[in-house]
This record gives sequence, structure tokens and C-alpha cells, in this order.
Amino acid sequence: MFRDVFDKLCWIFLAIVIVSLAVLLYATTGAGNEKRSSGPGKALEREMAYRTRVELIATLYAPVENLRKEGNNQTALLKLDELIRKYPAEGHGHILQGEILLSMGAFDEAVSSFVEGVKLNGDYVDAKSPLSRRVEIQRLVSDGMKNITQRASVNPDNRTLAASRQKINYLKSRLAGGCE
Amino acid sequence: MNRLLRICIALTALVMIAGCKTEGKRQVVKIGYMLCNSEQETTQRFLPLTKYLSDKVGVDFVMVPVDTHDFEKRFKAGEFQFTHTNSLIYIVLHENEGVQLLASEKRGKLGSRSAGTIIARKGSGINKLADIRGKRMAFGPMLAPTGYLAEYDMMLAAGINPENDLGHYTIPPGSYKHEKLIYGVLYGMYDVAAAPAMDIENMTREGKIAADDIVILAQSKPIPYCTFGVAKDADPALVKKVKEALMSLKPTDTAEVDGEQLKVMKAAWIDGYEELLDSDYDPIREMAKRVNVAPFQKY
Repeated sequence: MFRDVFDKLCWIFLAIVIVSLAVLLYATTGAGNEKRSSGPGKALEREMAYRTRVELIATLYAPVENLRKEGNNQTALLKLDELIRKYPAEGHGHILQGEILLSMGAFDEAVSSFVEGVKLNGDYVDAKSPLSRRVEIQRLVSDGMKNITQRASVNPDNRTLAASRQKINYLKSRLAGGCE
Repeated sequence: MNRLLRICIALTALVMIAGCKTEGKRQVVKIGYMLCNSEQETTQRFLPLTKYLSDKVGVDFVMVPVDTHDFEKRFKAGEFQFTHTNSLIYIVLHENEGVQLLASEKRGKLGSRSAGTIIARKGSGINKLADIRGKRMAFGPMLAPTGYLAEYDMMLAAGINPENDLGHYTIPPGSYKHEKLIYGVLYGMYDVAAAPAMDIENMTREGKIAADDIVILAQSKPIPYCTFGVAKDADPALVKKVKEALMSLKPTDTAEVDGEQLKVMKAAWIDGYEELLDSDYDPIREMAKRVNVAPFQKY
């Protein structure tokens, strides 16, 4: 077994390999532990980013909210127009626009705006989200179904009513947990 | 050879006659378009749409630009069968001549509707409707639903009689009245003005004014705006085809005008058409009764 130098060298080489593997294994396990410990950190980062986004939205859209509180809906719509063009991928402008249009009595246009907003960001139908408008959208769907069903029953071939009903159904499906 | 030549001549003549026959067979139908700012502008906007309708329906539609005040008279004289007007003129034609609703035009944030607003310059000290008493005011054209009627109605509802309670009021002369009165408020020619929400929206979008330049003192409920109508005795099959063509209009649809392919919706500044109900026009009827204007005016 250890009769000549070659055998001895082989055994020494084998020992080195085994020790190296053990060290490598230990090091890998250590890194895994580190990874596991970074999980909560990432969740925290995500949470922080989300909260920052919510705060940024509140700041960006504060002038619109103020105009609404003053009852100046048309100026609020003009401000929103600027913001929607500046942030085309942000759904909040569409949601606010939907709320203003609804208060102005433009029901079909309000529904279209809510649909746009929800398509861009599903948080508006999520009851737990700070951005949630679930209750408002539920009310819109409920009122919309009554309103449109009544009008559509008298005018069954009306395409505008059919399109509005389709949009209401979309919001209904998103409230029920359906995906985009 | 002689026989072959005769056959060729006969065939050519036949093809030419057949071609002429097809051309002559196409029915000619006229559409009266209410002038918005000028005849040139209205023609530029709606000629592509008229060509599009001809292509889609298989009828030669001819565009007839008509002054607002002549519209009913010329319709009554049978000058055109289809009408494109503002919502108040549609009501006048519906009540007096039996014109039927065909489609309502969509444009801007309020879709097929617009609203009337009363505006003042920011920082002028006029911050609420009650402040306009004794001030100089500009209205839009008298038959404009969101440039005159809605604002006049809001003032009456607030207990302000435009005939007695203003310093004076005027209607800017010439074309582009809505833009003129908005600029007039901005540059101090008038203290307050009756401005359609759609014009404010467009001017803001085009960068002509900023949302912060003006204060909106009052705003009406949204009411239907531009409207296609049709004579009650029009061919139902034709009416159905026209309605179908308007409702299926897409932003990518083009029409050839003077050898150039133009996008129909872009040229006409519209976002499409909707099928509103005649009852959707009832708020305008109520306004017209309160303000005592056509078609319900009483002397």
C-alpha cells in the first residue's frame, strides 16, 4: 500500500482532494445560509419600494386631489391630462379620472377610465393595497349592471351599450380575482 | 382582318359603355355639415370622412357645408338627407323636421359628451360665480350647446340674469369664437367667458394655454355634442349601412382626397362614434326650455 514513492504520492494527492472537497462543501453551505438570511431583506426592499411608490403617487397627484376637493373637476381633468401624458404606464391617473368623470355624470367614460387603470395596475381591485379602490369599483359594477341592463333591454342592438357592458364585465372579473 | 378590326372596335365600345353605366348607377346622397369655424376648415376635416362613407357604403356622398343659421331652412328645402350638426341643431331638426339620430361623435375626455364652463383669468379676483355680476362677459355662438346654452342656463340657475346682471355681454365676431373668447379672458379683453370644456381641453393639450391660467367658476353636466342625423324618409337599408360604417370607423381607416391617403379620424379630429339614445339629449331639451331658445322658445 505504501510500498513505493508513487503509492505515497497517490495517497497524498487523494487526501488533498478529499480535504479540498470538504472545505468547498463547507463554504457552499455557508453561502446558502447567507442567501437564506437575505430573503427577509429583499422582502423589506420590495416593501420599501412599494411604499415609496405609493407616497410618490400621493405627492404627484396631490394637486388633482386638491382641485377635486375644491369642486374644480374640469381643472382637475386638465391637470390629469398632463400627468397621464407624462406617466403613461401609471394607472393612478386613469383611476382618478374615472372618479371625476363619474361624479360629473359621464358614466360610460368613467367605466373606460377605471378599466384602463385596473389594466395597468391590479392593486386597485386588491382590498389590502393602500391604493385599493375595490369598494368604489364594486359600486360602479353594481350600478353599471343595473343601468346598462335596463337601457340594453330597451335597445338590444345598441353597440355602445354592449361595449359598456363588456367593460363592466371585465371589472367584475377582476374583482372576482381574474387576471389580466 | 376587317372582321377582326370590327370585333375589336365593338368590344372596346362595349367595355366603355359598361364602365359608364356602372359609374352612372351609383346613387348620389348629400350630407349637410354644419360649419364649425370656417367652410375651409370644415371641408378639410370632413371630406375624408365623406369619401370613407362613399367607399364603405357604395354610394357617392357629397359634402354640403352649411351655415348654422341656414341649416334648418336648407334641410327643409331638401338640399341634403344626412345631417352633421351640434346637438342643439339636431334637437331643432328632430323636433321640427323629424330628423332621426344616427350616431354621436366622440372627442376628448368626455367621449361623446362635452360640458359648458364659465371661466375667469386666475388672479383676476373673480373666484366664484357670484363674482361675475357687473362684469364683462363673452359668450360663444347663440346656437352653441356648450358655448352659450349651458352657461346661460347655469347663470339663471344661480340667480344671475345675463340680460340684467352683467356689465355687458358680447359674442366675438367672425370664426374661432371659442378660442377667441378664451384668449380674450386670458389677455383681459373680457372678465369672464362661456367656454366649452372641449376647447379648453384642446387648447391645454396643444400648449396654447396652461391649466393654471384660468379659474373655472362653474361647469355644466356633460351633454352630447356633434351628431349625425338622417331624414325620417331616408332609405332604411342605406341608413343602416351608414350607421354601420360610422360605428366601425377605426383610427387606421384612410380615404383618398386629391390623390392623397388621409387618416379619416385624425383629419376630422374625432375619436369615433357612439350609438347614444335620443333620450340622452333630453338634458339639452330641458336647458333649451329654461333658456327659451329654439326649438322651444316662446314669445
